[in-house]
Amino acid sequence: MIMPKIRVRVDEDLCIGAASCVTIAPETFQLNEDNKAWVLDHGEEPGGSTYERWLEVTEDEKENILLGAQSCPTLAIFIYEEDGTQIFPEM
Amino acid sequence: MRYVIVGGGVAGTTAAEELRKLDPESEITLICEEQHPLYSRVLLGVYVQGKVPRERTFLKKESWYEEKKIEWLRGVHVDALDTQNKFVALSDGRELSYDKLLISSGKEVRTVEYDQRGVMYFRTIDDADHIIQLLAEQGKDACGGIYGGGFIACEFLNIYEAHNIRTVLTFRGEHFWNSNLLPEAGELLLNHFRSKGVDVIAHAELKGLVGDKELEGFVTEQGEHPCTMLGIGVGILSDFSWLEEAGVKIGVGVKADKFLQTSVADVYVAGDISEFEDVYVGREMNVGTWLNAIMQGRVVAKNMTGEPTVFELVSSYAMNVLGIDIIFVGDVAKSEADDVHLVGSVRSGGVTQVFERGGRVVGGVMINRNTDRKVITDAVKSGMPVSDVLNKINT
Repeated sequence: MIMPKIRVRVDEDLCIGAASCVTIAPETFQLNEDNKAWVLDHGEEPGGSTYERWLEVTEDEKENILLGAQSCPTLAIFIYEEDGTQIFPEM
Repeated sequence: MRYVIVGGGVAGTTAAEELRKLDPESEITLICEEQHPLYSRVLLGVYVQGKVPRERTFLKKESWYEEKKIEWLRGVHVDALDTQNKFVALSDGRELSYDKLLISSGKEVRTVEYDQRGVMYFRTIDDADHIIQLLAEQGKDACGGIYGGGFIACEFLNIYEAHNIRTVLTFRGEHFWNSNLLPEAGELLLNHFRSKGVDVIAHAELKGLVGDKELEGFVTEQGEHPCTMLGIGVGILSDFSWLEEAGVKIGVGVKADKFLQTSVADVYVAGDISEFEDVYVGREMNVGTWLNAIMQGRVVAKNMTGEPTVFELVSSYAMNVLGIDIIFVGDVAKSEADDVHLVGSVRSGGVTQVFERGGRVVGGVMINRNTDRKVITDAVKSGMPVSDVLNKINT
């Protein structure tokens, strides 16, 4: 099965710790000591904590991460396709 | 199936979106009092601070409603509900029938009895535009007053700071959030505001305004406080009259069970206006947060389409005010707690309050202790013993 690859980025200046992404997609987002969301890879942090990383996900996982991004009240979560196209927020 | 949604904020719009997914062939009507497509109230403060452009606050485009085949009625509100014949009467004279009705009409600002150009409220994007207009007009001559001791007062503190405006802060109680905070937490916050140059006046009751055409100040028992702008944040309220007349059970909000179903068949509720059975904290809660509204919007849509789904969420609200992080999690009403435990201190610069009821942790307030958030959120969910939670966050 070919897994879609996406890049997920949290804009740390915009993130206010509303925790909607964490509630919807806890495997991908977790709040840190600054009350901002790190991006996780299936609950893990290979290479350390970061606000941006590539993820290999199933279609269902991708859909859920998108829902997490859509639920952010400050639109602080950006999602890109493998070819670099921004899929959220829609341009 | 015909769904009618009263209120186009985040709860109602999320429900509409979810209903469209779950029931592609249904008719969906969204009744909105405001003229704008969905925007983020959470972003309005950042917009007024000048950190994001106005268009960034919108979460839906005007074309979205049509794309999703959602009938979008703007600038109207509901005057009456007939639960027998299942229709709502709109302010423009129309009557809309429904199979399932969602009440998500939110809350409005509580106003004070005095008014003058320069008096500001902060709830809608129109309010935000009004503040920006005043800021632009007044420029360097602006002098900021605040009346209130909650999250809206915090928004005004941030706005004034971002525009380098001298600030006098007045509120009625001993400190901020008098029904939630212990004296130590209150003191920590006020010390912080003072350290940022804010003139802080507690136990203040607004007695009047100064100025003829333009605002020149406001009056409390403590005296006259010069200002050219006065931000008011004294709470929110709902108009329940049309619901009460229809026989819908009302408490501090529209009463609902854990499925967000009201006391009347086929009538549901979501968002700020709901008073729902909170399965985690074990009492009925009325919560006015983004997270609660969006999650209730998703869950209520499932229940409206006949997929029984319990609403389960540890709600939270977080804000950074003048550089200090404040987080509320779960049930933070002092009056409802058996005990409120204090961790940290004013001296250490961080305080956490743990709310206990019936031997369980039901909520927490964190000021500059962000890492306690996860422990407390998990504890509210899992029912972890209070002593374990205190041990965990004390280390």
